Amino acid sequence: MRTAFFISAIALAALTAMPAVGSGAEAGQTPAAKNAYLYIGWPNDGEVIRTHRFRVWFGLRNAGVAPAGVEKANTGHHHLIIDAPLPPFDQEIPADKNYLHFGAGQSEAIIELAPGKHTLQLLMGDHQHIPHNPPIYSRKITIEVK
Amino acid sequence: MQGGRGMWKIIAMAIVIAGSGVTSALADATPISKESRVYIVWPRNGQAVSGGKLWVRMGLKNAGVAPAGVEKVNTGHHHLIVDAPLPPLNQEIPADKNHLHFGAGQTEVHLELPPGTHTLQLLFADHQHVPHNPPVYSEKITIVVP
Repeated sequence: MRTAFFISAIALAALTAMPAVGSGAEAGQTPAAKNAYLYIGWPNDGEVIRTHRFRVWFGLRNAGVAPAGVEKANTGHHHLIIDAPLPPFDQEIPADKNYLHFGAGQSEAIIELAPGKHTLQLLMGDHQHIPHNPPIYSRKITIEVK
Repeated sequence: MQGGRGMWKIIAMAIVIAGSGVTSALADATPISKESRVYIVWPRNGQAVSGGKLWVRMGLKNAGVAPAGVEKVNTGHHHLIVDAPLPPLNQEIPADKNHLHFGAGQTEVHLELPPGTHTLQLLFADHQHVPHNPPVYSEKITIVVP
């Protein structure tokens, strides 16, 4: 009887100690800066771009940029997601042709895209390329390259 | 004749010594890519800003942003000079109402300017708030608050 009580007491303690369902499992460990606002400065949603190579400007308010590996409150580095969905928020953001990392602290990038419609979205990562808690991401925009 | 040649040698040496003094001051500064540039994305030169409240967007090419204190190749942090000339480029940038420091890695700032004409200029600096070698600064732009 006592053992059963003991076990259930531990289970109860473990459950209450866990973070609220959702935020613990779905996001990284680094807290996001309050009111951090991430947006794509250019191009705009619906923009028609007449060159294959163009600059994307990363807008960020109420937070700062730091290179990957640098751990400082209210900072992160940019990731640009091209033609792909947001990745899972509780792990390192993948690095491939759809998920471009800007771990050197860049605030803009020149990209080259084939003609057609493309989606762009920004997502901040912490010093370990893991999204913040809550994750900081921009609206997803659609552009057309002619 | 011999005295004359000797004099020229001394003058030449003095010039070389003085010159190396200047270049070593620059050489102590943190190096940065010669391709790096800062520029004011917004506002535009000559812009009129009704109400005087605006987000100044800081652009950076071929380098990255790092918070003050972080020493990493080809990085620095922004400084915005408001209604003042460039400070001396071989020392720590002063911090006052005309020289705004963005040591937290910010790439935008919300300014409130009184009516009148104002100048804005960006100056990049290293982990110790000292301009790089070569120094990286933007064009000085003028805006008007009606």
